[in-house]
Amino acid sequence: MADPDLDFTSGDAGASTTFPMQCSALRKNGFVVLKGRPCKIVEMSTSKTGKHGHAKVHLVGIDIFSNKKYEDICPSTHNMDVPNTKRNDYQLVDISEGFLSLMMDNGDVREDLRVPEGDLGKEIESKFAAGEEMLVTVLSAMGEESAVAVKPMTK
Amino acid sequence: MMAAVGAPEVISQLESAAKVLMAPPSMVSTEQRQHAEHIFLSFRKSKSPFAVCKHILETSKVDYVLFQAATAIMEAVVREWILLEKNSIESLRTFLLTYVLQRPNLQKYVREQILLAVAVIVKRGSLDKSINCKSIFHEVSQLISSGNPTVQTLACSILTALLSEFSSSSKTSNIGLSMEFHGSCKRIFQEDDLRQIFMLTMEVLQEFSRRENLNAQMSCVFQRYLALANQVLSWNFLPPNLGRHYIAMFEATQNVMLKPTESWRETLLDHRVMDLFFTVHRKIREDSDMAQDSLQCLAQLASMHGPIFPDESAQVTYLAHLVEGLLNMINGIEIEDSEAVGISNIISNLISTFPRSVLTALPNELFASFINCLTLLTCSFGRSAALEEVLDKDDMVYMEAYDKLLESWLTLVQEDEHFPRGCFVQPAVQVFNSYIQCHLAAPDGTRNLTANGVASHEEEEINELQEDDRELFSDQLASIGMLGRIAADHCIPLLTGLLEDRVTRLHGQLQRHQQHLMASADPGTVERKVLDDLYEDIHWLILVSGYLLADDPQGETPLIPSEVMEYSIKHSTEVDINTTLQLLGSPGEKATSIPGCNRTDSVIRLLSAVLRTSEVESRATRASLTELLSPQMGKDIVWFLRRWAKTYLLVDEKLYGQISMPLSTAFGADTEGAQWIVGYLLEKVINNLSVWSSEPELANDTVELLVTLVEKRERANIVVQCENWWNLAKQFASRSPPLHMLSSTVQRTLMKALVLGGFAHMDSDTKQQYWAEVLHPLQQRFLNLINQENFAQICQEEAVKQEIVATLEALCGIAEATQIDNVASLFSFLMDFLSSCIGLMEVYRNSPETVNLIIEVFVEVAHKQICYLGETKSMKLYEVCLTLLQVYSKNNLGRKRLDVAAEEDQYQDLLLIMELLTNLLSKEFIDFSDTDEVFRGQEQSSGAGRAVSAADVVLYGVNIVLPLMSQDLLKFPSLCNQYYKLITFICEIFPEKIPQLPEELFKSLMCSLELGMTSMSSEISQLCLEALSPLAEQCAKTQEKDTPLFIATRHFLKLVFDMLVLQKHNTEMTVAAGEALYTLVCLHQAEYSELVETLLSNQRDAVIYQRLADAFNSLTASSTPPTMDRKQKVAFLKSLEEFVANVGGLLCVK
Repeated sequence: MADPDLDFTSGDAGASTTFPMQCSALRKNGFVVLKGRPCKIVEMSTSKTGKHGHAKVHLVGIDIFSNKKYEDICPSTHNMDVPNTKRNDYQLVDISEGFLSLMMDNGDVREDLRVPEGDLGKEIESKFAAGEEMLVTVLSAMGEESAVAVKPMTK
Repeated sequence: MMAAVGAPEVISQLESAAKVLMAPPSMVSTEQRQHAEHIFLSFRKSKSPFAVCKHILETSKVDYVLFQAATAIMEAVVREWILLEKNSIESLRTFLLTYVLQRPNLQKYVREQILLAVAVIVKRGSLDKSINCKSIFHEVSQLISSGNPTVQTLACSILTALLSEFSSSSKTSNIGLSMEFHGSCKRIFQEDDLRQIFMLTMEVLQEFSRRENLNAQMSCVFQRYLALANQVLSWNFLPPNLGRHYIAMFEATQNVMLKPTESWRETLLDHRVMDLFFTVHRKIREDSDMAQDSLQCLAQLASMHGPIFPDESAQVTYLAHLVEGLLNMINGIEIEDSEAVGISNIISNLISTFPRSVLTALPNELFASFINCLTLLTCSFGRSAALEEVLDKDDMVYMEAYDKLLESWLTLVQEDEHFPRGCFVQPAVQVFNSYIQCHLAAPDGTRNLTANGVASHEEEEINELQEDDRELFSDQLASIGMLGRIAADHCIPLLTGLLEDRVTRLHGQLQRHQQHLMASADPGTVERKVLDDLYEDIHWLILVSGYLLADDPQGETPLIPSEVMEYSIKHSTEVDINTTLQLLGSPGEKATSIPGCNRTDSVIRLLSAVLRTSEVESRATRASLTELLSPQMGKDIVWFLRRWAKTYLLVDEKLYGQISMPLSTAFGADTEGAQWIVGYLLEKVINNLSVWSSEPELANDTVELLVTLVEKRERANIVVQCENWWNLAKQFASRSPPLHMLSSTVQRTLMKALVLGGFAHMDSDTKQQYWAEVLHPLQQRFLNLINQENFAQICQEEAVKQEIVATLEALCGIAEATQIDNVASLFSFLMDFLSSCIGLMEVYRNSPETVNLIIEVFVEVAHKQICYLGETKSMKLYEVCLTLLQVYSKNNLGRKRLDVAAEEDQYQDLLLIMELLTNLLSKEFIDFSDTDEVFRGQEQSSGAGRAVSAADVVLYGVNIVLPLMSQDLLKFPSLCNQYYKLITFICEIFPEKIPQLPEELFKSLMCSLELGMTSMSSEISQLCLEALSPLAEQCAKTQEKDTPLFIATRHFLKLVFDMLVLQKHNTEMTVAAGEALYTLVCLHQAEYSELVETLLSNQRDAVIYQRLADAFNSLTASSTPPTMDRKQKVAFLKSLEEFVANVGGLLCVK
C-alpha cells in the first residue's frame, strides 16, 4: 500500500534544512531552532495570561553545537522551525592537529571535523592513543556538524 | 576525658567553644565550628558530669554553656539512672528547681532546658516510684499563689515541661526507654496529675478573668496559662485498657479530638468550665494571639466524646449548653478576622463529633437558631473570602474558615434524613445564592469587587502547574453542589436561567466582534473585558452545575444523585416530553425561543444550557473567531460533558428504585436521545481536536471525554455506529493535519480510545473493517517503511523519523488500551511490532530519543499486559525483552556521548530499562492469569525446552544497568529509587540466582546494598534490609560455606549489628533490621557471639558489663539455638524491642 503523500525514496538534495511544526507539538528532548540556532529542547512549559488567555509555550533549548542556552516564548499556535538532524557513525582512522580523520561508508576519508571539546574529546584522544578502534557519531543540522558520541567497534 | 581535667579548665574550654559557635559564619572556619561542636558533644557524653555541671551552672556567665550543662545533666541522669543513689537524684532535682527560682533573669531557653531536665527526672522517676510527683505539684501551687507574675510564669513553664514529657508525643525527650514505659507513665499521669494541672490552670484563668484591668505583664502570664489549658484539652488520651501494641505508637499531637477517660467526668461536665472559656474569650478576643488559644480551647471542648458522657442525655445537655454559649458569643459582635478560623473550628468539631440523634434532640428553637447562625456565618465568611481573593492576601483566614463551614454543611446534609424534613432547604438556598453571587460579575454578582465596590481586574500570568479551579476548589464545589441538590427546586432553575442568559449574551458579543472585525479588520482593537467577564461567569456556572448534577467517584459507576432524580420525577407530570426533547436537540437555538420551553424537564434543560454554550463555542470556531474564545471555557464544557455522560448517558434503570420518565426517555438505552447526544459529543470532540490542538490541557480533557464514551461497552456500541467515529479513525490513521499536530500524550490517548472502541459490539464484517481502518494502516505503513530496501539510507530523513515516532507513540497508546477482555488480541498485535522494534533499535542506535521511545513501548506493554499473560505468552515477552536488552547493550557498551540535555534526562534510557525490568518482575506479585482463560484456544503446546524465565531477562538487564549505576547517578532521586526497588525485588524473588552472578556483578550488587543500607534515605535503607533476609535464607538452604554470598552475609551481619546496637536509628526500621539481623545470626552464630564478646570486653564498668551481658542473654533466650523458624523469629523481634529500649541508650555512650 503506497501512500501518495509520503515519499520516502527521494534523497535529501535540495531539501530544506528545517521544517515547521506547531509549537504545541514540540516535545522535550526534541529539536527546535531558537534565535537561528539548532537547539535541543531541555525545558518546555506552558502558561497563559489571565484565566481565559490562550496558551503560550516557554522553551529553553541548548545549542547542539555550541552548548549555549537559548530561550523563547511564543503563542502555542505558532509554527516553529525544527532542524533536520542526522546522525552518522564513522570509523575513526586518525587524529591530527586537533582534527579527526573519519572514514565514510564509501571509503573516502574526511578530515574536516575538530576533536570535540571537553570530556568527550579527551576520551576520543586517549582511546585513540591506546590503539582502540572506535566509531564516532557525527550529528549534523543546518549545515553544521560535530562529533557527539563515541563507541568502541564491536567485532 | 572530662573527669581528668579540673572544672575551671572545662569551663574555659566550653566557653571558648561557645564563642566559636555563636560567632558569625564569616568569622570562623567550618573546621573550627566542627571542633567546637565536637567539644560539646563529648562533654555531654562524659561520665557522671553532675559535679562539673553544677559548678558550671553556678559560675559560668555564658548562656549557651549553661544550656549545654543542663542538657548534659538531663542526658546523664537518664543514662546512669540505675547507678545513681535515689537521694542524689532527688537533690539534683531540688538543686535545679531552686536554681531556676533564684535566677529570675535567666535566658528563656536556658530556663526551659533546666525545667526540661526536671521534667525528665520526674518522669523517669515515676517508673521506680522513687520520686514523688506530688511534691512537685505542691511546690508549683505555692508558686502560683505567690501572686508574683514572674514566679507564676515559672510555675507555668514547669507544668508545660511536665506535660510535654508525659504526652508521649514527638515533643517528648528521647530517653531510651520502651514505648511501654512511656505508655504506662502517660496513663498514670492522665488519670491524676494531668487533671491536677488542669485544675490549677482553671484557677489561674478564673482569677485573671475576674480582674478589671490586666497590665502587660499579667496578660502575658494569662496567655501562658491559656496556652497550657489548650495543651491539656488537646491531650491525646490513652484508652484505659488497650494492649501493648497501641502503646507502641508515638501519637500525633495535632488535631486531636478530646476523648477523656471516665475519671474526668466531674471536671469537664461541670458547666462552669465551658462558661469560663466563653468568658475568657469575650475578655481577650481583641488580642489575636490569645483569641486563638481561647477559641481552640472551645473547639477542643466541642470535640469532646467518649466514655466521659454517662449517657445520651448528658451529651444533649452538654451540647445544648455549648451551642447556647456559642450563639451568645457570636450574636451581637462583629467578628474579628482572627476569630474566623477558630469559630469555624468550633462549629466543625461539634458537627462532626456529636451524633445526629444528639443534634436532633436539642430544643427545636435552639437548633433552629444554630442553623440560622451557621447560615449567616457561612454567607458572611464566603463574602469575606471573596474579598481576600480580590486583595490577593497571603493569609486567607476567611477562605479557610469558609472551607470548614462548607465541609460541615456537607456533613449535615448528607444525613439529612435524621433531621426534620426540609429544614435545610432555606439555608441551602441562602448559602448557594451567596456562593453564586460571589462568583458572578456585577451587576448580578460581586466578583472582583472590593469592599467599597471598586472593580479590580488584573491579568496575571498563570503557569501550567497551577491547578484548575475545578480541582483547587473541589471541596467547596462539592459542598455547594450538595446544597444545590437539597434545594434543587430553587438552584437548578437558577443555574439554568443564569447560564442561558450568559450564553445569549456571549453569542451577541461574539457576533458584534465579528462584525467589527469585518469592518476594521484589526483584531488589536477588540475589547476583551466584556468577553472575559462572561467567560468567568460561565466558568463558575458550569463548574457548579457539574458538581450539582453528578458525582465523580473513582472507579465505580456514578449514580444520578437521588435528590436530582426525585426533583425530576416530582415535576414530570408538568413536563412535556416532546418539547423537552426539542429543547435538547436544538442547541443552536435560544432556549426561550422554543414554544412551551417552560414545560420542559429542568435537569435536561440545565444540560442543554451547557450544550448551548458548547454550540456557541463551536460556531465561533467555524467563524474563525477562535482567537476570541476562552480555552478555559472550552475545558469547562468538555469536563462537564464527561462528568455528565458518565452518570446520565444510557441510564441503567436497574440501578434505581424509581426513575424519572423524562431522563429515561431522553438518555435511556435504545433511545433516539442517547444516540443523538453521542453523535453530538463526538462531533464536539472532533471539532475540539482540530481547533484546539494548540491548547494541551483542553485537548487532553477533550480526548478524555472520548475515552469515557468508549470505555464502557454500552456507550461504545452507540459510538461505533456514528459515521463521525469512523471518520475520526480514518483521519487519525492517515496521520494528516490537524490531528497529528496534537501533543504526543493526546495522540496516545486518542489511539487508546480508538482501540477501546474496536471492542464494541459490531458484526464480524464491520469489526474486520474497523480494524482494517484503525490498526492495519498503522501496521501497513510501518511495514512498508521499514521493508524498503534503502531504509537504512533514508531512516534519518525527517519524514521517516516522524513516521517512526508516530508509530511508536501509537503503540504505547494501544498498550494503554489493554483490558482483561482484549488483552489476547492486543498482545498478538503488539508482539509483531515488538520484534520489528528491535530492528529499529539497531537502525536508530545513535539517536537516543528514538531508542528511549522504543524502550518505552516495551515498558508500556510489560506494564499493562504481563499480569494477564499465561506461561507461553509471558515467555514470548521475556524473549523479546531479552533481545531488546542484548541489542541495547551491544550498541551502548563503552559508548560515551556528549549530551546537552539536563542531567537527569541523559539517563532516561537507564531509568526506562529499570522500569521495564521491574514491570517484568511485578508478575511475581500481581498475576491474573491462573488459567490462561483469556487466551483460550490460542495457546499452543507449552513451550517447554526453550525456557527464558523472568529471572534470565532481569539478571541480564541488571548486568547492563549495574555497571552504569555510578554513585553519582544515585544522587538522582528517580534513578536511585527505581534502582533500589529493582535490586530488592531481585533479591526477594530470585535469591537463588544471586550466587550465580558473575563475580564483578555480584560484588557491585553487594556494594550497592551496603551503600543503600548505610548512606541513603531511610526508605531505601529499609528496602536493602528487606533484601538481606532472603539472601541469608538462600545461604542456609545451600549449606555451602565460603561462597562469596556466604562471606558477604557475614559482613552484613556486622553492619546490621552495629546499626541496631550501636547507632541511633529510625525506630521504623527496627523491624526490617531485626528480621535481617535474625536470619543473619542464624547463619553466622559463631560470628555473632564474637561480636557480642568484643562489645562486652570493651566495657570496663562492671555494672554496665553485667547489664549488657544480661540484655544480650535475654535477647537470644527465646531463640536458642536460633533457627529459621517463624515463631522464633517473632520471639526474637519482640525481645529485640526490649533490648533496644533497655540498653540502646547505654551503648550510645561514648
